[in-house]
Amino acid sequence: MNFFAVIPSEVEESRGATRGQFHGVRRLRFASLGMTGNRTLTILFSLALGIATVAYAQSDPDFTKANQEYAQGHFKEAISGYEALVRAGQWSANLFYDLGNAYFRTGDFGHAILNYERALALERHHPEATANLQIARDEARALELQQSWPERYLQFASVNQYSIAAAIGFWLAIFAVVVLIFARRRSATVITALIFCLLVCAVSIYAVYTLERGGKGDALAIVTGKDVQARLATADTANSVLALPPGSEVKILSTRGDWIYAALPNTLRGWIPAKDAQQVRL
Amino acid sequence: MSMSRRILVAAFGIIAGAQFAHADSPSVTAVLNSSEASLGETVRLEIRITGVRGADAPEQIMVDGLEIRRTGTSQRIEMNNLNLTSSVVYDYTVLPLRAGRFTIPPQTIRVGNNSLRSPALTLNVADSSGRSSGARSGRDTQAAGANNLVFAELIVPSKTAYVGEIVPVQIRMGFDPRVRPRLIEPPEITGQGFTAQKLQQSAENTETISGRIYEVVTYKTAIAAARAGKFEIGPVKAKAQVVVPRRQSAPRTRPRSPFDLLDQDDPFSDPFFSNPFSQLGERREVEIKSEPVALEVKPLPPNAPPSFSGAIGNFTMTTEAKPKTVQVGDPITVTNTISGRGNFDRVNAPVIEDERGWHKYPPSSKFKQDDEVGLSGTKAFETVLSPNEKKQGLPLLAFSYFDPVKEQYVTLHSEPIPINVEGGAAVASSAGGAPPGSATPATAARATSPAPTANKPQDILYQLTELPTKAESFAPIYTRNVFWVAQVFPLLALIGLAGWKIRRARIDNREAQRVAALQHEATDLMHKLHRNDVSPREYYAEASRVVRVKAALASGNRRIDPNMVDVETAAETFKLNSDSRDRLRRLFEQSDEWQYSGAHNGPGRVSAENRREVLELIENLR
Repeated sequence: MNFFAVIPSEVEESRGATRGQFHGVRRLRFASLGMTGNRTLTILFSLALGIATVAYAQSDPDFTKANQEYAQGHFKEAISGYEALVRAGQWSANLFYDLGNAYFRTGDFGHAILNYERALALERHHPEATANLQIARDEARALELQQSWPERYLQFASVNQYSIAAAIGFWLAIFAVVVLIFARRRSATVITALIFCLLVCAVSIYAVYTLERGGKGDALAIVTGKDVQARLATADTANSVLALPPGSEVKILSTRGDWIYAALPNTLRGWIPAKDAQQVRL
Repeated sequence: MSMSRRILVAAFGIIAGAQFAHADSPSVTAVLNSSEASLGETVRLEIRITGVRGADAPEQIMVDGLEIRRTGTSQRIEMNNLNLTSSVVYDYTVLPLRAGRFTIPPQTIRVGNNSLRSPALTLNVADSSGRSSGARSGRDTQAAGANNLVFAELIVPSKTAYVGEIVPVQIRMGFDPRVRPRLIEPPEITGQGFTAQKLQQSAENTETISGRIYEVVTYKTAIAAARAGKFEIGPVKAKAQVVVPRRQSAPRTRPRSPFDLLDQDDPFSDPFFSNPFSQLGERREVEIKSEPVALEVKPLPPNAPPSFSGAIGNFTMTTEAKPKTVQVGDPITVTNTISGRGNFDRVNAPVIEDERGWHKYPPSSKFKQDDEVGLSGTKAFETVLSPNEKKQGLPLLAFSYFDPVKEQYVTLHSEPIPINVEGGAAVASSAGGAPPGSATPATAARATSPAPTANKPQDILYQLTELPTKAESFAPIYTRNVFWVAQVFPLLALIGLAGWKIRRARIDNREAQRVAALQHEATDLMHKLHRNDVSPREYYAEASRVVRVKAALASGNRRIDPNMVDVETAAETFKLNSDSRDRLRRLFEQSDEWQYSGAHNGPGRVSAENRREVLELIENLR
């Protein structure tokens, strides 16, 4: 609320100078004309921050309204409200969590699990989403993708954390190399630090690759349709590979028309109608 | 070999010999594979003499209007309950030459010194339109001749079956190798009321039938009747191309035997067959057709058990389950293996007799057949069961089938399998529950999800009413611009560090050069001071210069300019005592005197004593 806290005072100042006849940006321009450079910068910063705050503040009523619909048991209306926010790009873990709850209440476990997964994709340690996801999976008897052991062990940090660690390790290694080049004597400490930084960088890059390419990576999709069968070929009459309950995890390998080729929870692969599965990451 | 074993073998031999001797009471039967035939259609006559190993049967049977020739002889030995039975079968091909009702008279078969008489048989031959009973066209004759060079045979071992029961069927197709046959349409079993599996070619060999060599291809398949009643299986039809000699241009004047294609007694006496390249042959397309076989199909008895899914045959069942210790809600993979012989396409997974407290997923199945047509094999079902409450054992599984030999339904039950289900009360099942059709095979990964326990909350958690001030992104940070822009800062720092280091290196380099130059100058001056031919003016100037250079070198980081060094600075730099300081002062004064007073009034050379004193002073400056 910096916009309303700061700008009105400036407006009052300028209003005194201009007898309050101006409006909007013109007021600001007048306000800044008689000020020092620092004050002008402060106002511009406050203006930018204020505009941003107003932009996000506009979504609050919609979110509040959707929450009220949910509280009154109007789950479909709540879903509509949450979905509108999602379409507007106001993505947050809490929004997807609430949307998942609304879908859960309507018995649509596929979409509920999808949105819980999205909440966790945005915020790995979201305790409510984790708990509700487990409940939804148990209800839907959803199948989960098997993870390789490197994935399981590397999951103690997120991809973003590994990315930052890789960057830090890289730059520290470069600095160590520069120091070694210009040093009159090769310091064992610097060499050890260089090796350590390179190791950190390499392990972090490997972790990013493994997690992104793994079962929980960017290709993760959730089955949202009902009575979905993974098939051997792109035809409804093709032999079934596996029946996928709603909420089951699949990993999209490729797409062909209205079908997606996916890795299935039982380590097999099959074709699924594209309309019956949605990717977790938007 | 022990005595008792010898006695046993001898007894067995005596019994077998007695049985064989007992079976050696010859009898004769004669059957036509069909009592109705149309003109031009051949009928097969089989005369079987049982209880003999050899007999003397006629090569040809003379009947007016029929041409009957022996086409094959085979010998069979069967053992039934230690009864050895030997029989000789004579096959004849009957070709009607005209329409009408014919009686094949009893034939005398000589068996050793005895004679046996076959029964009389009747054959009705109907006229077929477009054909005369007398002379036939050349094309028909050729076709008939070609047909005689190939044959098809449908073998159905059983004459009765139940609806849905799998009946194995064998098709034999024989070709005279000299006609170079080429099958253009594979054999097909015609008929209605049954389903046939895909034909599988099982063997190919050469047989001698009636003195002729045939290449015989054997196909195997299985049929299953779809409804009760009397059916006619077949005939089997196929088309092949064969090479036959070109027709002779001369018109035929007499009716000809089908075995006499070329107006001779034997078609193979044609020169074409003796040397096919000496005379051009003609490739002719012929249809090969077997005789149909009658099959009586009986309906299944009523009151089938609830677990009966249509399986007919003889089966056994084994059941396994793992793991044996689980939590409530955990999956247990139950593997049912059904082995045996029968219609495996109707073998479904065993049913659970009591599903209470269990959640069952649709099973997956895998069939491994042991023969070419899938009549016998093993079908394995994997069913995932999930206990909703504490259990001490798996529920009983039942599988029912109809045994056509016993002619009754049989129900197999799984053995009780104890399991240990840990956890508390039942997991609440929501209104939505598990959707129908949701299935998982045993390999599905449920392991990653913790097992639901009794204290698991049954309802989802509350709504969250706070939104962050900034929208979040699914894109990993390394794909965002801010991440790469941020790399500019360490890059700039790196450039700064490198620049600073380079500058430091350059500065250090200049200082080193300066020190080197001063040292070089000091060395040169010291050489000059040791010479005798130097005037006092130059000598004292160079001596004072050496002192300044040495002082500059000794100043270290202070970097004193040699030109700026005076007596006090030098004394301070070298930390001289008062005596040395005075001597240094005198040296500088003399240097100044010689430098600024013009021509000196003193001696023209520096005395040795003064030189030694100066050198001693300078060399002690450290």
